[in-house]
Amino acid sequence: MAMPEFQVHQPKTVEDVLDLLGRHRSSVKLLCGGTDLLIKMRAGAQTPEHLVSLNRVAGLKTISYAGGDGLVIGGAARISQVGKTAEVRRLYPGLAHACSVMATVQIRNMGTVAGNLVNAAPSADTAAPLLAYGASLVAVERGGRRQIKLVDFFTGPGLTVLEPGEMVEAIRVPDVSPRSGSCYLRLSARSKVDIAAVGVAGFLNLDLEGKVIRCRLALGSVAPTPLRCPEAEQILEGQTPDEKLIAQAAAACVRASRPIDDLRATAAYRRAMVQVLAQRVLTQSLDMAKGGTP
Amino acid sequence: MKNPAIIGKSIPRMDAPAKVTGRALYADDLKMPAMLYGKILRSPLAHALIKRIDVSRAKALPGVKDVITGADIPQVKYGNWRLVPQSQDELALAVDKVRFVGDEVAAVCAIDADTAQHAIELIEVEYEELPLILSVEEATAEGAGLIHDESKGNVSLVRKIDYGDLEEMFAKADYIREDTFKVHPVQHAYLEPCSCVAHSEEANRVTLWTSTQTPYIVQCLLASTLGLPENNVRVMKVQVGGGFGGKMELRPWEFCASFMAMRTGRPVKFTLTRADELAFGRRRHPMSIYSKVGFTKDGKLLAKDFQVMLDGGAYNAMGPTATFLCGTFGNMLYNYPAYRYFGRHVYTNKPPASAMRGFGAPQAAFVAETQMNMAADDLGIDPIDLRIKNAMQTGDVIPDVATISSCGFKECLEKVREISGWDAKRKDPKPGKGLGIGCFSFISGGVFNWFNTKYNFSAAEVSVYEDGTAQLATMACDIGQGPDTAMRQILAAELGIPIENIRLIAMDTATTPKADLGTWGSRVTLMNGNAVIDAARKIKEMLIPVLFEEMDLNQIHDIGFEDGRVFVKANPKKGLTFGECVYKALRGRRGEPLTARGFYTPRNKGLVSPAFSFGAQVAEVDVDTGTGLIKVEKMYTAHDCGMPINKMAVEGQLEGAIQMGLGYALMENLIMDDKGRTLNTTFLDYKMPTAEDMPPGESADVYTYEPEGPYGAKEAGEGLAIPTAPAITHAVHQATGYRCMETPITPEKVLRALNKIK
Ligand SMILES: Cc1cc2nc3c(=O)[nH]c(=O)nc-3n(C[C@H](O)[C@H](O)[C@H](O)COP(=O)(O)OP(=O)(O)OC[C@H]3O[C@@H](n4cnc5c(N)ncnc54)[C@H](O)[C@@H]3O)c2cc1C
Repeated sequence: MAMPEFQVHQPKTVEDVLDLLGRHRSSVKLLCGGTDLLIKMRAGAQTPEHLVSLNRVAGLKTISYAGGDGLVIGGAARISQVGKTAEVRRLYPGLAHACSVMATVQIRNMGTVAGNLVNAAPSADTAAPLLAYGASLVAVERGGRRQIKLVDFFTGPGLTVLEPGEMVEAIRVPDVSPRSGSCYLRLSARSKVDIAAVGVAGFLNLDLEGKVIRCRLALGSVAPTPLRCPEAEQILEGQTPDEKLIAQAAAACVRASRPIDDLRATAAYRRAMVQVLAQRVLTQSLDMAKGGTP
Repeated sequence: MKNPAIIGKSIPRMDAPAKVTGRALYADDLKMPAMLYGKILRSPLAHALIKRIDVSRAKALPGVKDVITGADIPQVKYGNWRLVPQSQDELALAVDKVRFVGDEVAAVCAIDADTAQHAIELIEVEYEELPLILSVEEATAEGAGLIHDESKGNVSLVRKIDYGDLEEMFAKADYIREDTFKVHPVQHAYLEPCSCVAHSEEANRVTLWTSTQTPYIVQCLLASTLGLPENNVRVMKVQVGGGFGGKMELRPWEFCASFMAMRTGRPVKFTLTRADELAFGRRRHPMSIYSKVGFTKDGKLLAKDFQVMLDGGAYNAMGPTATFLCGTFGNMLYNYPAYRYFGRHVYTNKPPASAMRGFGAPQAAFVAETQMNMAADDLGIDPIDLRIKNAMQTGDVIPDVATISSCGFKECLEKVREISGWDAKRKDPKPGKGLGIGCFSFISGGVFNWFNTKYNFSAAEVSVYEDGTAQLATMACDIGQGPDTAMRQILAAELGIPIENIRLIAMDTATTPKADLGTWGSRVTLMNGNAVIDAARKIKEMLIPVLFEEMDLNQIHDIGFEDGRVFVKANPKKGLTFGECVYKALRGRRGEPLTARGFYTPRNKGLVSPAFSFGAQVAEVDVDTGTGLIKVEKMYTAHDCGMPINKMAVEGQLEGAIQMGLGYALMENLIMDDKGRTLNTTFLDYKMPTAEDMPPGESADVYTYEPEGPYGAKEAGEGLAIPTAPAITHAVHQATGYRCMETPITPEKVLRALNKIK
């Protein structure tokens, strides 16, 4: 199929974005890097008549960190920019890692974190670390603004709770307390330029005695959506983690996963890898947390 | 022997600046006034009868200029093995039956690509499905249906080699092992998808610009399928973005473009997509292999029984040659007192397999090398020692096949042992790490004339001018491997003029001398190089008399050609510039230009090849035994390509070969479903290693002087693609205990072998 004609709008303010979304309601899509959307359009899977680009909207590319308030990633911030931001590298190493190894240099320079989340691929690389950091999305529409927890955001492959007419203005990530550690590990057959066959992200915060106050674990590519593993988190919370406990928590992650066989890996391999990666993620996060303030 | 300075130098490829700056023109870059765009309708089914095709709606679409099906074209089958006409089994468009998913059913040309695509979607085809045959085992089973009704069975070709007394030798053997192997399909994945433009200016004559490795073969087969004299078809040069064996046949789009260009009177272009290439394109043969080898207890090879079924897909393509070469390379590296080969090329309902870098040899060597490594373990002999004990050497004869006139194999083995730190590392193994070895030999062009050409195998025409420049015209094709540079180096060496002074005209079947069989079988450097030397020496014979006359030389003098001068060797100051000499020769010939043709066809060189390359490679790997992921940490190579013509080009071949071999061993695989559909049709899912997966390498050249080669050169193209996969699989075995008998290695297979996944 030839790509049908479409019109691109380049508004400068969020107001104008929302107006355009309303005006062309029947056939409109937001455009950031286009690294997911344009491929779908070329394949004929999406045929919007209007594209509203967020690339010229003032302030939407900002990435800011303010102690206490945490990290705010603008709705049009590039993956590579997020990966290069000093505070992200220091405080959110799992996210920084995802943003530096996923896709390719060119794609990371064009693609955005918001696009990655809204595209809602089970393998979306920024999803698992952002879940582990307890992130939320700020969604705006003409009527107002709401905050959506990332755990509640995904509903299926390519599906989210975002309404037509809504845009993601920012991604908010809570601040990281002292004695925290975190990590994201992904596996793929090719070392680079590959979609993850399995991804595991973890976050641990310890008290002064080394007991886990807060634990979050998240998985990618092993279920219809990226997901959290509450059972595994509870195994660790309130405990002093050791090798055995970590293995138990990893086993709970395996139970939370619902992998399938596909071209990239079999379900059996994925399950085994959730165990291995979850252990490694927890061990590394623990080391980091014990090292004091990340 | 001392070669001229320009031979063996590292010279950047002369086509490189144009390619990296985007000035180079590929077929898809060509645009002509009134050009039409072609598209192909392909079969969605792997095996079916065509009951009805209705093209009326496509024809009626505004902008569509022609629509053709199998019923419209001359029913002349084609295939590269003209010597065996019954092996020619293809028509550009299917008639009555489709045999693989992607088999070409109809073609359309229209004023733009979108209209052509739309027209394709308007063609209605009614199929009646037939039972699928998707493996060699099914194809050769009792009662299997026929894929080609006119053939006796699904085995399209058999090759046997038999020498020595196999039974006696196995009876003498102290150690015998029998194994079965399976190797998988991979694709060339050349960067440039196939593309061509055809134009017919005069009725019954057609010119085709196409991305091909074999312009001469395309010319001949296009002529026969169009029902034209060969001389009415001209195939011309464009830059070719890689081939690796995947562009060495007449292809349906080349036929359709030419046929529709003649019908419409307008130029017609076809360009494939990457998804077309991966889903329907040629590929390396998957094989089912049985191999039995016998040794004495101290490691002397006695016998080998090698039985292979090649999964050829729906048509023969270059499968017959792969069947031959698989047998030839089953016994090539080592002395086997008795050897038996039984190779069968089998039709299945899959996209046809064909030539791919080393056709037949990578699979044969994977098995031979793996068994060598297994035997070494069982016999308690170091794998390199075991090889040295049995290695071929200069002067060895393979019955009915070849006499090896230069061979640096043992030196390669010694060298690679040294540079890889083999002995020390094996003495002190580290957990998860391993060192493995694989070896190769390959042909420098083929002798067996399957294309049944009546011309010399290679030809070159050299013209020289009074301004000191020369022109080299040859049908040989540079598909990225570098002969446009190497051939000019050879000519520059012969004539003693700067390489920049040589203009090249290549790959034009109408203006370059007949013939050149094309770029395959690593033949161009040796064969075309010899033709260039032959032509250059004839030119020199025209120039030498000038000096004798001019300087009144005694007839015992020798004449040198160097630094743009023609001079008396005994007194180099005495001489003329090259241009002056040409000028005077022209005067003496009363204006007849100085042009000479040179030719090469191997003579008295057995049936396989005039010369053989050799080499050994060691892979060092690190296996993550938690995830099964394998990191190739370093590759060490020692190889004998005779005397290299262009060292930089040889290095490029080595690096590219390692990339391909690594992909073959660990990542690349065309995955098919039970309907015969290829599932991974993007580079995301067809996983070629990227630059970031490339291990560092270290190499040592082992120089031999091949008497049959130009300046002692042999091949360095395909052979190098052979040892990497067996070296890596051996290294993985040393690291983990997992022995790969069914390629490729995946992390999952490693973990299953380690019992970490049930
Ligand atoms: C070669 C290649 C490799 C890739 N590798 C990876 C990989 O390794 N890992 C990975 O996770 N992904 C990968 N991707 C997918 C893709 O690059 C990422 O998902 C990227 O983050 C998408 O961002 P974008 O800005 O390009 O999104 P777009 O294509 O612009 O948009 C994607 C979707 O999100 C919507 N959208 C975008 N921004 C907003 C917003 N602010 N508010 C509401 N809706 C919005 C769009 O309407 C569209 O539906 C790869 C893609 C390619 C082409």
